[in-house]
Amino acid sequence: MAVGLDKVRPENIHEEKSLILEGMDISGHWNRMFDPRVLTDYSVENLEKVAALPGGESLMWCYGCAKCTGVCPVDIVGDYSPRKIHRKTQAGMDLFTSPDLWLCTTCMNCLRVCPKEVNMIHIMPAVREQAVLNGEVPPELQKAFEDTAKHGNPLGQPQRKRADWAKSAGVPVPILKDLKRPVDVLWYVGSYPSYHPRGMDAARAAARIFNALGIDFGILGAEEKDDGDSQRLAGEKGLFEMLAEQNIAAFSKYEFNRMVVTGPHEFNAFKHEYPKYGGDFTVLHYTRFLVEHLDTLKPMLKKPLNPSTSSGRSLKVTFHDPCYLGRHNGEYDAPRELLRTIPGVELVEMGRCRENGYCCGGGGGGMWLDSHTKDHTQMRLSERRVREAAEYGAEVLAVCCPFEVSRFEDAAKSTGNDKLLVRDILELLDESMKG
Amino acid sequence: MASDTVLIIGGGPAGLEAARLLGDLGQKAVLVEQKSVLGGRPIDESYAALTHGFRSAEEAMNELITAAQANPSVSIRTGWEVAECSGAAGDFNVRLVKSGNGTSETVNAGSIIVATGFQHFDPGRETQMYGYYEYDDVITLGDAEKMLKEHKFVIPSKGSAPERVCFIQCVGSRDRQIGNEYCSKVCCGISSKLAIEIRQQSPSTKVFIFYIDMRMYGYWENEIYWPAQEKHHVQYVKGIITEIIRKGDRLLVRGEDTTMGRPMEVPMDVVVLAVGMEPSKGTKDVAKILGLKQNKYNFIEVPHDALDPTATSVPGIFVAGAAAGPKDLDDTMSMAGAAAMKAASTIRKLQNSNSKLQSASA
Repeated sequence: MAVGLDKVRPENIHEEKSLILEGMDISGHWNRMFDPRVLTDYSVENLEKVAALPGGESLMWCYGCAKCTGVCPVDIVGDYSPRKIHRKTQAGMDLFTSPDLWLCTTCMNCLRVCPKEVNMIHIMPAVREQAVLNGEVPPELQKAFEDTAKHGNPLGQPQRKRADWAKSAGVPVPILKDLKRPVDVLWYVGSYPSYHPRGMDAARAAARIFNALGIDFGILGAEEKDDGDSQRLAGEKGLFEMLAEQNIAAFSKYEFNRMVVTGPHEFNAFKHEYPKYGGDFTVLHYTRFLVEHLDTLKPMLKKPLNPSTSSGRSLKVTFHDPCYLGRHNGEYDAPRELLRTIPGVELVEMGRCRENGYCCGGGGGGMWLDSHTKDHTQMRLSERRVREAAEYGAEVLAVCCPFEVSRFEDAAKSTGNDKLLVRDILELLDESMKG
Repeated sequence: MASDTVLIIGGGPAGLEAARLLGDLGQKAVLVEQKSVLGGRPIDESYAALTHGFRSAEEAMNELITAAQANPSVSIRTGWEVAECSGAAGDFNVRLVKSGNGTSETVNAGSIIVATGFQHFDPGRETQMYGYYEYDDVITLGDAEKMLKEHKFVIPSKGSAPERVCFIQCVGSRDRQIGNEYCSKVCCGISSKLAIEIRQQSPSTKVFIFYIDMRMYGYWENEIYWPAQEKHHVQYVKGIITEIIRKGDRLLVRGEDTTMGRPMEVPMDVVVLAVGMEPSKGTKDVAKILGLKQNKYNFIEVPHDALDPTATSVPGIFVAGAAAGPKDLDDTMSMAGAAAMKAASTIRKLQNSNSKLQSASA
């Protein structure tokens, strides 16, 4: 079958002979519509309410061309797109209490193609902020907010253990507080690389790479807090502002030339949002930072990663563009340059890549809305993406966003693509340096 | 010897503009208007603001009228009609009759400009069920213009400000059963302009536009459509209303909301029918009198529309404005300029060749 033509043959469609849904017997030839068919009114008030919010104005601008629907990652697995949100709200839907409010991952693919510049990256946080104030938040997201507020990270892990991962890195990971001298690079590690088991693998790999390259770096350790950008996009602006102030205060305590971040969300926060709160620092995502050191790095990559060196066949690696590195910040090349430098690796592009890259589902709070999203879509975005990687014949799905490793690994398992390995580019570089 | 007079039939925007330009050229022009007043549809139907540009229609038309009237080369006959025509380019003899008393006069003209315009589609003739003559609160674009001009946009049956107004597009246009297969070209823009004016005059009124396609070509897109939607919050819904039924003291519009894929039955206080253009009675009568070919919709046929948009089937007779089909004001004024130039050059070419012949024979 041609790639992408995921057609289902009629014999593969099974209808339930008897089905009871939420206590209602809908056996037999049931109607696919349960809501009243006829639209009996247009309550424009709800659309006016959204448009009245600072940031919500542009929802009113939609003229229904539906270019967004064609690229919306959520619409592929569900019934959701900015155009549909505009129309439903125009027809009276209350977005403030609708489950649709929490499906947008702020991936920005809609805005990329929108002729009217309807900006969901502004609309969604604006409406969500009101929903948060009204207490209309899915419980799992509320828990992530509370954990972030309490522990400084959405995983709910103790703040004092934030640098514990470094103990088993096998190389020194200097903490600025102890170092007591200026450094070239402040490495902002991030919450998932600090606490999530698979994130820690990437953090340790980064530590080893930085050491091998002789980078003069330090981390904040227990003084580092979550960047808060995804919480902001999920509607918790107050929490974001608190974290921004705390992080800016911590950054300002030390002398450094520039910051390097592990994650694209942190990159986005420090580059675009923190300056609004007085925190204006030079920040690089690790992929761009390492590309700067490519001449030094290249000779260190001695071990080819292909499975059998004798056959000469290379390892097929595909790359998933993080929304907040690619579309939001225009960086498509650095990760690819790194991958191409690794011996034994063949970079295979998926159909949806670069500007049109698919979304893993983790952005804009999606990281903490797994159950909600699962209840309102056919499959997780990460599952759709893993299937695409497998369709294109990839053996390794390479990522460079700490949200993604765990999401894609879970998705590889749940979709039966266990053979597909999910690796941070840091891990692949580290592995190749072991030669 | 060719007559040095251009006869202009019709005193609307096209005729007035042609008269003014011919006068500026020093060409003699006689403008005939069957009504007692000049200005055409914008004055006759009390337009509020012009589409596009939002200038007061009355003010803009008065400027044109004054310019034509003040020109010594232009003679204006209001209240006169064209009754008969004979001759050919350079030497047309057109008999004019004064309305009412039957006084008659013949004008010898070298060329003729027909600027007899359009009339709005009569919504009583539509095949759908909009009930224009049954429901007080179903009105046309022209009715809306009148109310807006008086700054009194109200529910006609109640006299109070409407809570909800909707426009239904393409009434009498793009319809094989009605016989008007063409798009009337201006109604999308005019409805949107009126919607903006309603929102400005009555900010609490919600305004909806039900449409098949919004045809906002060129700058109408960014000058009318986008501001209507983005600044004035006019609600556009794709899907045309099929019928209007009375519900209590309001109107229920029924149709399909096509992008929602659902039927709709929504209450409205005022329904504005975006009626399209048809050739005016004057256009149809004058075409017959002058022997001009008409197209299947009875507009005056323009054989080479794209490259020669003002030439009719008869040499020496030119057409400007909506007598030739649906036109906006921009088209109309451009055509008036082109027709004036063609009419004047027809006369001058004939005069030149006559004088050459005379000098050759001498």
